[in-house]
Amino acid sequence: METVTDRIDRIVDEFADLDGREKLELLIDFANRLPPLPAPYQALKEQDAGRVHECQTPVFLWPEISSGGMTLIASVAEEAPTVKGFVSMLAEAVADRPQAEAGDLPDDLLERIGLTEVLGMMRSRGLQAITGRVRRELAAAG
Amino acid sequence: MAEYANPDVLVSTEWVAEHQNDPAVRIVESNEDRALYTQGHIPGAVEIDWLIDLQNQDIRDYVDRAGFEKICRANGISNDTTVVFYGDQNNWWACYAFWVFKLYGHERCKIMDGGRKKWQLDGRSWSSERVSYPPTSYTAPEQDKSVRALRDDVLKHQKAGKNLVDVRSPEEYRGERLHMPEYPNEGAVRGGHIPGAVNIPWPLSVNEDGTFKSAKELEKLYCKTHNLKRRSPTIAYCRIGERSSLTWFVLKYLLGFGNVRNYDGSWLEWGNSVGVPIVKGGQPSASGETPAGT
Repeated sequence: METVTDRIDRIVDEFADLDGREKLELLIDFANRLPPLPAPYQALKEQDAGRVHECQTPVFLWPEISSGGMTLIASVAEEAPTVKGFVSMLAEAVADRPQAEAGDLPDDLLERIGLTEVLGMMRSRGLQAITGRVRRELAAAG
Repeated sequence: MAEYANPDVLVSTEWVAEHQNDPAVRIVESNEDRALYTQGHIPGAVEIDWLIDLQNQDIRDYVDRAGFEKICRANGISNDTTVVFYGDQNNWWACYAFWVFKLYGHERCKIMDGGRKKWQLDGRSWSSERVSYPPTSYTAPEQDKSVRALRDDVLKHQKAGKNLVDVRSPEEYRGERLHMPEYPNEGAVRGGHIPGAVNIPWPLSVNEDGTFKSAKELEKLYCKTHNLKRRSPTIAYCRIGERSSLTWFVLKYLLGFGNVRNYDGSWLEWGNSVGVPIVKGGQPSASGETPAGT
């Protein structure tokens, strides 16, 4: 089974050689793949639990550990496909992998997939901060 | 005041739908989220990004005159084109792009009232087709300094006790949110506001559907509740100058303030500057504030 690092490398390969517009289209594909929020979390979301308060757009994250490994449960507003796509990418990278691999989520993912130039540094730093948060919370969860 | 001071500066989604193929009109989308335009835009609209297209990070400023001309030429905008801006987040970035177009003296600029939100609520369709228009030979004048306040202008303005409007959230204004965890780059070393500034958070200017509040409501808010005078020079600011360009638009075009500038350096510059005063706490009248940190 692919490790977190293998999956990150695969995502980086998928983005390589795409122009700016194509990169955004691929990011939107990731956004569309983020699974709908499971029902039990819907109630938590309504209570504002799991909210990432630093984000202007509503982002809710629940990094969890079970016997099957890591899961990043997330809900991101429809009107923020960039954040949604990026969170979906992180969720795919960590899904069902052992907690010990949480630390392998790289800080420079956005740069490696070539999106920092498309998004600009101001937007990119916010997304990079989400990686740090997910990594820390996954490492501490359980 | 029953009507906006310049009602022609706003157009409805219906007007835009009717002018989608009008060669004299260019529809421009400007967003916080860059993927939104790619996902779906108003048919025929081009994208001009406030960050990638309109700013030059090497000098932390806007593109120069030649850079602005290049953007207009590439997007099929002529000097006499009517440019209609719209976007996400209640048109913050649309107002910001509008403001940059005014900085370079473009005459015919409009905002689509309600932005993306209203277009969606009205059930109108989105397109993901790439659009391009024949290049033009656009020429721009030098920057119009009457719409832009630089740090030293603000310092002078503040010392003279003239109108200052802080459009951030009350928490940011009071200095309670000193830095944003995880976002050190967007933070300032000091929290608070410019002495004498009144706090009128930008959302108070817009309705739930993203459209601007009525002339009567806006007048009550700015001129009665906060006692701002149309004839007094006014400067608006926020954290990076985008929310305040919406307030600048409201004051200048909807309420008819004669002399209003946007301080685009805003709190990121002011809060980090050496030798400029700040205060913490509530509205000036409530706190009887005196400058601190000078």
